[in-house]
Amino acid sequence: MEMVIDCHAHLHHHSSRTWQEDDRKLIEAADKLGIDKLCCSILPPRFPSTPEGFQECNRWVAEAMERFPGRVLGYCYVNPGYIREALDEIRRCVEEWGFVGIKLYNEYRCDEPVVFPIVELATELKVPILQHAGHPHYFVEDQPRLSDAGHIAQLARRYPEAILICAHVCGGGDWEWTIKALRNVPNVYLDTSGSVTDEGVIEMAARMLGVERLLFGCDMSMTAGIGKVRSARLSEDEKRKILGGNMLQILERRGGRC
Amino acid sequence: MLIDVNAYLGHFAFRRLRYNTAEELLKLMDERGIDKAIVSSASAITYRNAQSGNEELFEEVKGHEDRLIPFAVINPAYAGWEDDLRICREEFGVKGLRLYPKWHNYELSDPRCVELINRATEMGMVISIPIRVEDYRQRSWLVDVPDVPLDEIAELVRRCPEAKFVLVNGIGFVNSPLGQKGSELPPNYFIEISRLSALLRNEIGQLIENIGAERIVFGTGIPFKYPDPSLVKLEVLEISEDEKEMIRWRNAASVLAL
Repeated sequence: MEMVIDCHAHLHHHSSRTWQEDDRKLIEAADKLGIDKLCCSILPPRFPSTPEGFQECNRWVAEAMERFPGRVLGYCYVNPGYIREALDEIRRCVEEWGFVGIKLYNEYRCDEPVVFPIVELATELKVPILQHAGHPHYFVEDQPRLSDAGHIAQLARRYPEAILICAHVCGGGDWEWTIKALRNVPNVYLDTSGSVTDEGVIEMAARMLGVERLLFGCDMSMTAGIGKVRSARLSEDEKRKILGGNMLQILERRGGRC
Repeated sequence: MLIDVNAYLGHFAFRRLRYNTAEELLKLMDERGIDKAIVSSASAITYRNAQSGNEELFEEVKGHEDRLIPFAVINPAYAGWEDDLRICREEFGVKGLRLYPKWHNYELSDPRCVELINRATEMGMVISIPIRVEDYRQRSWLVDVPDVPLDEIAELVRRCPEAKFVLVNGIGFVNSPLGQKGSELPPNYFIEISRLSALLRNEIGQLIENIGAERIVFGTGIPFKYPDPSLVKLEVLEISEDEKEMIRWRNAASVLAL
């Protein structure tokens, strides 16, 4: 049995009174579901984040990597609007603290030029970018710069060496639209996470993108995450790739920290 | 024994469904160890005349009544609902109704809806209310149908104490009188698990604590949704085997008088 890696998880901001207990519950949930490793970021309670805000979040992730050795892998979250601080933070997190990737949220759409230096640094460091994304068929008022799979595809065509992960296909609106938009951009992976458990989503993604481009994730919807991969009409070998094999290959680009 | 209180046959207007014939659904149920399922017409959600969907459903389940338990979709704001109800009960032998107040544009407090529920209750039928059909973030550009507010359901169960309700595709009950201790609501409703968490916040565990395992029922949402997320919940719930049996089938068998 290959490793099971949740490519999209979150630890809890320390402003929450119950953050320690909630973090522990996440690890316990992973134990129950057979998830070996969780790729985690911490996001601030309010956006856009300041440099102090994202630095604090990343420091807490680094501490969690020590608290849960071998279980928590770190994503460095930054706001590209503070580009100098963001680039310094990414370099520190990846080179000094062993983070495995970058998490971008919705402060900017991912195809805006302010994001480009981050993609260039991610490519240099050989780490993926997990991009928050969604494509509802209505304007999301509290996320005016929400990226969708089309924007990620645009970015991927500009940077074909970059490894981009389109977040939570099962929590980002019309998943059929998202899958179709990613069809011809081989350097974009699709994260299966989200609370939606619609029958057929995994098979459609596998058929259109290939199983090699699918990454298992939960984004805290734990039984949904495991359950939909288990239900999917795919071979055990294909499921192993989705559950961890593909993410492992991405992580090995930087020297196999697992 | 495993009884699924949340299954469908037919077509949905906005997405292709697989396993939506009796033969295909039964095959899926066999693979997942589901013995019986309450089924209603998915087509009737968007047909103007819902009775056409009921007629399609009854043709489809013929010969499979030992495993597929048909529920009729009745719109009390549409002409002839009284005749449709009588035909569904007397000619088709349905055991219950599925109501879509938001899709069919009426209020649960509408006197016609209350009259429908009272008549169906007198006939010994169960009332199933889907809180939603699909995730609102992926809705079509053509429709904007809200979830059924839990407060409106709480008011309905109070108003119709003799009726038996099965609430499916819901979440957040612990924040509503429906899922809280001491709410003084009649114990005439059952809550299905397909969207409830079994880990982290563990809403199922909280509901068992608050209103008892005898009020929780197993359901999947097939073929809209994958079956395994609900099956995984049963596996990871830390409750007694007796409580699991209640959720797996005994509560549903009791409410359906099987």
